[in-house]
Amino acid sequence: MAVQVLLADRLWRCVTITLLAAAFTACDRESGSRVLTLAGSAVGAEADAVRRQLHRFEAAHPSVRVQLRVTPDAADQRHQLYVQWLNAQAPDPDVLQLDVVWTPEFAAAGWILDLDRFGVATDDFFPAALAANRWNGRIYALPWFVDVGMLYWRTDLVDRPPGDVDDLERLAARARDDHHIPFGLVWQGARYEGLVTVFLEYLGAFGGTMLNADGRIALDSEAAVAALQTMRDQIAVERIVPRAALTWHEEEVRFAFQNGDAVFMRNWPYAYRLLRDASQSRVAGRFAVGPMPAGPGGTAAATLGGSVLAINAHSDNAAAASRLIDYLLQPEQLLERASLVGQYPPRPTLYEQQALGEALSMDPAEVRRILEHTVARPATPVYAELSDILQIALHRALTDQQDPRTAIAGAAVSMQALLDEVGLGPRQP
Amino acid sequence: MTHDDRLAWVLALPALAVIALIALFPIVWTIWESLHLHDLRMPWRGHPFVGLANYAEAATSVRFWRAMAHTVLFTAATVVLEIAAGLLLALVMDRLSRGRDVVRTAILLPWAVPTVVVALVWRFLFESPSGPVDDSLVLLGVSSPITWFADATAAWVPLVLADVWKTTPFVALLLFAGLQTIDPSLYEAARIDGASPARQLTDITLPLLRPALVVAFIFRALDAFRVFDLIYVMTGGGPGTATEPIALLTFNALLQNLRFGFGAALSVIVFAVSFVFALACIRIVGRDALAERVP
Repeated sequence: MAVQVLLADRLWRCVTITLLAAAFTACDRESGSRVLTLAGSAVGAEADAVRRQLHRFEAAHPSVRVQLRVTPDAADQRHQLYVQWLNAQAPDPDVLQLDVVWTPEFAAAGWILDLDRFGVATDDFFPAALAANRWNGRIYALPWFVDVGMLYWRTDLVDRPPGDVDDLERLAARARDDHHIPFGLVWQGARYEGLVTVFLEYLGAFGGTMLNADGRIALDSEAAVAALQTMRDQIAVERIVPRAALTWHEEEVRFAFQNGDAVFMRNWPYAYRLLRDASQSRVAGRFAVGPMPAGPGGTAAATLGGSVLAINAHSDNAAAASRLIDYLLQPEQLLERASLVGQYPPRPTLYEQQALGEALSMDPAEVRRILEHTVARPATPVYAELSDILQIALHRALTDQQDPRTAIAGAAVSMQALLDEVGLGPRQP
Repeated sequence: MTHDDRLAWVLALPALAVIALIALFPIVWTIWESLHLHDLRMPWRGHPFVGLANYAEAATSVRFWRAMAHTVLFTAATVVLEIAAGLLLALVMDRLSRGRDVVRTAILLPWAVPTVVVALVWRFLFESPSGPVDDSLVLLGVSSPITWFADATAAWVPLVLADVWKTTPFVALLLFAGLQTIDPSLYEAARIDGASPARQLTDITLPLLRPALVVAFIFRALDAFRVFDLIYVMTGGGPGTATEPIALLTFNALLQNLRFGFGAALSVIVFAVSFVFALACIRIVGRDALAERVP
């Protein structure tokens, strides 16, 4: 088989190289320049922002052309596409926009380059956002923007943000009944990564963590059971969260809140800009954001997400690719993204500037307050499978197929078994 | 070997080569892969030969057996409903004297719609809290309709309905073709002998339709056993893993978790089960049905 694989592999590489060579020769003849490809998401305003910045980069580097390769917006579909390209050792795309939790997986597989060799500056990034991109002590990607889970609330239905989880439930139930709003609170409850991010916020609120200081699974705790029990009760007992939320992702949740059907919403920063747009939002000017509330024994927690930029290990233009990444991460570009797309820059120094407040139409101090309590997800190449195990357990408990204690205990055992099998404990960022 | 034999082999060679390349090679490679540990996430573990360890892991996994059970359940439910509904449609088409072509085309339409589109439409119909199905239930006086896709049992209803809706036309057409081959003089003779329409159905139509029924059954059962796209789009296997079929579990192992060795073992199991099932069907039901066939 080794021979067959090798042959197939070689054949594939030959074909790719020939085709690419043909493509490059064609390009060279036309413009005499190198072509870089950047793969990532480019929907609406985001596409606009990226294209502008790529044009400026090309203007500054006349020998380089950059092509934007649009990839699916759904995370698992993009992941699958990247796996196909990278596993086939295709030399393009050169620069990849990754979800922050993929970096260790791609780094361990040898698919992306360690960036230390290019001498990238790492001093001005949020430490948690940077740490998520470290594998075996080296940096494999740099944060492009950070996402955090936060609480949106209706200023016309409640007069203050909730003090803690109990308070949130009380306020939600009262406002729902007094104002005849269908839902008190909406969050992402479908069986996907989003559910894990919501759970991590409840877990933090009750004082639990996913990993302990030694990098072992710490989910088999009273805090985890209480967090999951609370989420379940919000649906089944207090009935502030609709059962339908168990099939909802970010957008369904946003639509519910945007149409005025919910008092509170847990979502990412992207929703802020869209909700302020009076042409599509019924709650424009009638909502505010803040951190998710703390619960007994814990603190407010915001799951850290976001995108990072990495370089394909088989890129023929690695040096140019690193220049492109450096350019896209300059404050000017990050502020432009903040203003066009509403994404939060990963550089703490920007939060001391008034320009960011104007770009986001928000008080940067308020954003800083939310970012103070970020919780990172484990940095391990098997993160996708860890998350898969947890998603299934959470969803089983929330759909009343298992009680929360059994679900959590079972998930903790399977997750630890998986980590033991990897042989390398993940580092807690 | 005669000259003609040799020529026949030479002429068949390109076709055989294509079959070897696109059918045998991937199967052999997948079997080989399934005997190895191959995990893209952990390249430092290498690509060692592990014998049947991947199969042993599947055999001891609760999720695997549940996925098998879901697949069998889905196959049984859809095949029974599709053959019953398909037979009914075929008999109706057969009785029509006018407009047969129009009806046949209309019946075939669902079959022509891509599965993913069917899945999206049916998901929309059963959406909560305000999909058309739930809205209709509210109009009928049900105060709090089911959240279909958040209920481990109810989630099967839209899945099975969507598959039946899409695939019944295929069964109907197959059976309709079978009905055309039955000699009308048999019915004439039966009428002269005073046999009731019910008696004609059980004693003439069904026995003579048996080969078509067997073909429809095998095709549908094998297809339903490999169900992926419909469930992937409609429930993603959820809630929890309550509707996860074996093909989705395999996809998950291969493309989400990048466990190529284990994923290959699951693929081989699906392949082996389908293969044995098809062989068994043909030997037990098929041969016997074909032998009885009246010219």
